[in-house]
Amino acid sequence: MTMSRQGVQPTEVIDRAAKLRFRWNGKRFSGFEGDTIASALAASGEQIFSRSMKYHRPRGILTADYWDPNLMVQVGDDPNVRAGHRLLESGMDVRSQNAWPSLNRDIKAANSLFGRFLTAGFYYKTFMRPQWLWPTYERVLATFAPGGKIDLDTPHAYHDKRYTHPDVVVAGAGPAGIEAALAASGEGASVLLVSHEHAVGGHLRYSSDAADQAALAELRAALDASDVEVLTDSTVTGRYEDNWLGIVQRNHPIAVERLIKARAKTLVAAPGLIERPYVFEGNDRPGVITSGAARRLANLWGVKPGERAVVFSANADGDAAAADLERVGTEIAAVIDGRTGGRISSTSGSSRAVDAVVADGASIDADLLVVAAGWTAPTSLLNMAGDRPVYDPAAARFFPSDPPSNVLATGGLAGDADLDGLRQHGAATGRLAAARAAAVRHRLQSRTARALPVDGDEPAWAPDERVPLGRDPHPELYRADTHGMVDMSEDISSKDLVAAAHEGYDSVELAKRYTTATMGPSQGKLETVNTVAAIAEARGETISQVGTTVWRPPYAPLTLGALAGRMFEPVRVSPIHPWHEANNVSIIQAGQWLRPDHYGDPAAEVRNVRENVGLIDVTPLGKLDLRGPDVPKLLSLLYVNKWMKLGVGRVRYGMMCAEDGVVLDDGVTGRLGEDHYMMSTTSSGAGGVWEWVENWLQTERPDWQVHVTPVTTAYASINVAGPKSRELMSRVCEGVDLDAEAFPYMTVREATVAGVAGCFMWRIGFTGELSFELHVPAGHGLHVWEALMDSGSDLGVGPFGLEAQRIMRLEKGHFIVGQDTDGLTLGPSTGLGSLIKLDKDDFAGKPELAWAADRSLPMVVAIQPDDPDVVPEEAAQIVRGDTNEILGRITSSRYSPTLNRSICLGQVEPDLAAGGTKVTVLLESGERIGATVIDHHAHFDPAGERLRG
Amino acid sequence: MAEAASPQNSAPQSPAFESPVVRSYPAMRAGDLTLSDESAVTKWLVRAGADGPAADLLGAPFGTSRAVAGGALVLGSRPGEWIVLGTAGEVAATVADLAGCEEQEFCSALDWTHGRAMFRVTGTSAARMLEKVCGLDWSDHMTPEGAVVSASVALVTCDIARNDRDGVRSYLIFCDRSFGQYLFDALIDAGNEFGLSVAAASHSHSAD
Repeated sequence: MTMSRQGVQPTEVIDRAAKLRFRWNGKRFSGFEGDTIASALAASGEQIFSRSMKYHRPRGILTADYWDPNLMVQVGDDPNVRAGHRLLESGMDVRSQNAWPSLNRDIKAANSLFGRFLTAGFYYKTFMRPQWLWPTYERVLATFAPGGKIDLDTPHAYHDKRYTHPDVVVAGAGPAGIEAALAASGEGASVLLVSHEHAVGGHLRYSSDAADQAALAELRAALDASDVEVLTDSTVTGRYEDNWLGIVQRNHPIAVERLIKARAKTLVAAPGLIERPYVFEGNDRPGVITSGAARRLANLWGVKPGERAVVFSANADGDAAAADLERVGTEIAAVIDGRTGGRISSTSGSSRAVDAVVADGASIDADLLVVAAGWTAPTSLLNMAGDRPVYDPAAARFFPSDPPSNVLATGGLAGDADLDGLRQHGAATGRLAAARAAAVRHRLQSRTARALPVDGDEPAWAPDERVPLGRDPHPELYRADTHGMVDMSEDISSKDLVAAAHEGYDSVELAKRYTTATMGPSQGKLETVNTVAAIAEARGETISQVGTTVWRPPYAPLTLGALAGRMFEPVRVSPIHPWHEANNVSIIQAGQWLRPDHYGDPAAEVRNVRENVGLIDVTPLGKLDLRGPDVPKLLSLLYVNKWMKLGVGRVRYGMMCAEDGVVLDDGVTGRLGEDHYMMSTTSSGAGGVWEWVENWLQTERPDWQVHVTPVTTAYASINVAGPKSRELMSRVCEGVDLDAEAFPYMTVREATVAGVAGCFMWRIGFTGELSFELHVPAGHGLHVWEALMDSGSDLGVGPFGLEAQRIMRLEKGHFIVGQDTDGLTLGPSTGLGSLIKLDKDDFAGKPELAWAADRSLPMVVAIQPDDPDVVPEEAAQIVRGDTNEILGRITSSRYSPTLNRSICLGQVEPDLAAGGTKVTVLLESGERIGATVIDHHAHFDPAGERLRG
Repeated sequence: MAEAASPQNSAPQSPAFESPVVRSYPAMRAGDLTLSDESAVTKWLVRAGADGPAADLLGAPFGTSRAVAGGALVLGSRPGEWIVLGTAGEVAATVADLAGCEEQEFCSALDWTHGRAMFRVTGTSAARMLEKVCGLDWSDHMTPEGAVVSASVALVTCDIARNDRDGVRSYLIFCDRSFGQYLFDALIDAGNEFGLSVAAASHSHSAD
């Protein structure tokens, strides 16, 4: 087999003026723009492109397209590139895969010597015992794994995603597909035409027939003038419920791949036919190619595939291949006509020869064997729609059976005809698709509030009045009288399949999984029918009796990157975020929020708050605006405590429990006006509490007059904490008497702060210090923060982050829902049992809490290690003495810079909850330390004198 | 309605309104697609019965929008929920008109200006750009001029109103303010393919 570039061909797609240089296994090569990697290498005389997976047999071009199993190469750091499809680019570094030390001399080809031992199930049978050796087996076997090399340092490529809702998607851009798209568009439908190839035209592209080329030009011109959106180098990879389609678009200008999620009202499946290899001894030798490969090489890229060819032809495409080869200078040694009983039996000859041995044993000298043995109908999209195609032995291929009415087949998938016949069927299919899409569109519009109004009733579902395509007779050519490769991706021979059937794997689904036939990169496009035929032969049955495997998505493999698409990772920031970033902040991600963790020294931040005044940005605190006369009833329903008598300007703490009595959230709610309240929630609970509230209102109490609006980020929230906070607030605040008597703890006032009207100020805090929690209209949040910083410089004002706040809240003994409680923590376990008012008529969780009131429950308690310098890890277990009996756990722990000792909160069994109880904490290191439960949650200022300041 | 502050008093005023979009962006590019930050536009949320007196007065059923006589734009964002946007005065006038409904039904109005970022994307390829970040059908028959929807945009819950400008496709996109910078950047990323440029805020809000 000696391939070479020939003179200019009228149908070629290469630009001979645009020369591209690239490397192949380190050597310099060149090709032209429009070449695929494989065509450029073929034009340069290369005949071996890869080594087979198991036996490392040399492999050359088979189909010269996307499905060619022998053309998997590595391009730079991109493994498993399909050289039969990927267009050549200047500077490409292309390398062969699965060969060592070189493609031409591959040591692992010695596997062929052991071929008879490497039959189907070899791994299952050989490496099962002894089980303890499996890790060793695994390591060794991994070195034999096929495929390219992945470079873990490769930067993530940009992948894109798009959603679209066309009326009609046409999968396949051959003449029937194009006509379908044009006809549907002509009927007013929005149409997406998807071409698997780099250009539309299907088989017309590589036909040298003048009439075919004229038709192609006509169809392309019509497409250019139409409203049809054309995607080339793209594949409809899957069809899901209600015509939800996955389409992968390769090599888009802005992304290596784009996954398109299309909701089509009708799908036209027009993928054409895929030429099926023929199984005979030596059918995988370089130099044995399909007729399509011969025509593509000759007509698209001007490559003469060989010097002397034998053509085994069972159809018109084989005949056309012989003519095309002659035109590019290949001598036709013989044409073996499969329609009249001619058969190929095997190949023989030296490495560059492919002598064809025909059925009577005669050998014909050649370096190229072209095979045209029939077609596989890629019924994948129909399979995915629930259709079970049926086999027609007279035509030697499968045909659609009964696909759903919003999926229509045309082109070679549906039957045979001359070009005009295929075009007419395509056009009729397009019109039918458009008519049915119009009915779907009418239905969707009539049911969608925002859509344009529709007139009249929904159109009737258009009947299928297409004239069916015929079925050309074709000999059933699957295997010769010798055995050969059925699946070249997986190195599975017909002999393997027969053996599997004889071993009992005689169901096609079982045989597939046992042998891995059809499971390689070609995904059965070339192999499925030959696999079924081999099993049928072994079982002595017909192909119809055996049936096929079910083609599932994806139609063509796609990368995980394409599936992931664009990486949307929403983050939320407060209006004060720019200030944090400019001031040495260390950010922590809490859910979607980016929050200041600290500004360099959390302990110093704690001391500053205890001694002076600090500011913390608490914007993520959940805030719900509640309006209406029934708000008190709502609060009483959702919180465990009482709310009917909260006065205007007052604030109250509340704990929410779910219906099972487990603590759901906590926070304070203030009454801002007669029928106006503001509820605060934990930062992480903001969304969940809103849904909880709406759920109760909409499903249980729809008659109550309450409007709930989440306003978490309508306000920038700033907690001003420390003994000098009142002094600082007095410098920026207008219209409010800040005196402790006039504005006491647990009250709320509306104020103007730093010139910003409409601020709410709460006398609460989480740090245990005198605090003012400011809620400023968010568009002025940064201004107010900066004003506070400027105004308090002489007071020592400084920012503090979440870590300092965590320390101070632990010093003060405030528990955090979700940290100090868990999914089993009932309300009384928090130590706030007195808050639960079982004398209320009803509230969420009341039955469970009433039950719990009479029981001993684990309790949240404050714990101090005996050694003040040891800080137990959070989640460290509390155990009984030297045993491993678990009695509780540390839920929060820190070193307190205020107390100069370690402090904790924990959950313990009820009999350990009393103050003064000694407990044992098991550290991660295995060491056990002593600790003492203290009388109350607060390690610091238990009387609350500082916060009431 | 009694609890609602006056829009004139609470609308952005001195000190200047700080947008959630704080980064700067390069100058205009070649495409016709523009993105502008309109977060400073006054936005109020009105809640009332889906088919009561307030609904009649606002005249924008769920999924639709309407430019009212006073100049504000009313978006029927959910059943029984409307967003009113415009200048402070325009919104104030519309909200004030609702005062009479209070005696007939339970309704409320709330200034949402600071809580919601609002962006406008305009250009012939605006729908194609949205297809990259949102799964809805942006065709003229499913989302015509005046349509209002709620959807995930780049994984952020948004309200979107089609509000064409001079016959050119245009969308107003609202999201929680805290997502504003993220969403603005995501929209720029989606629009790069179409030559998107960042335009100065027009603060224009209503259909002509």
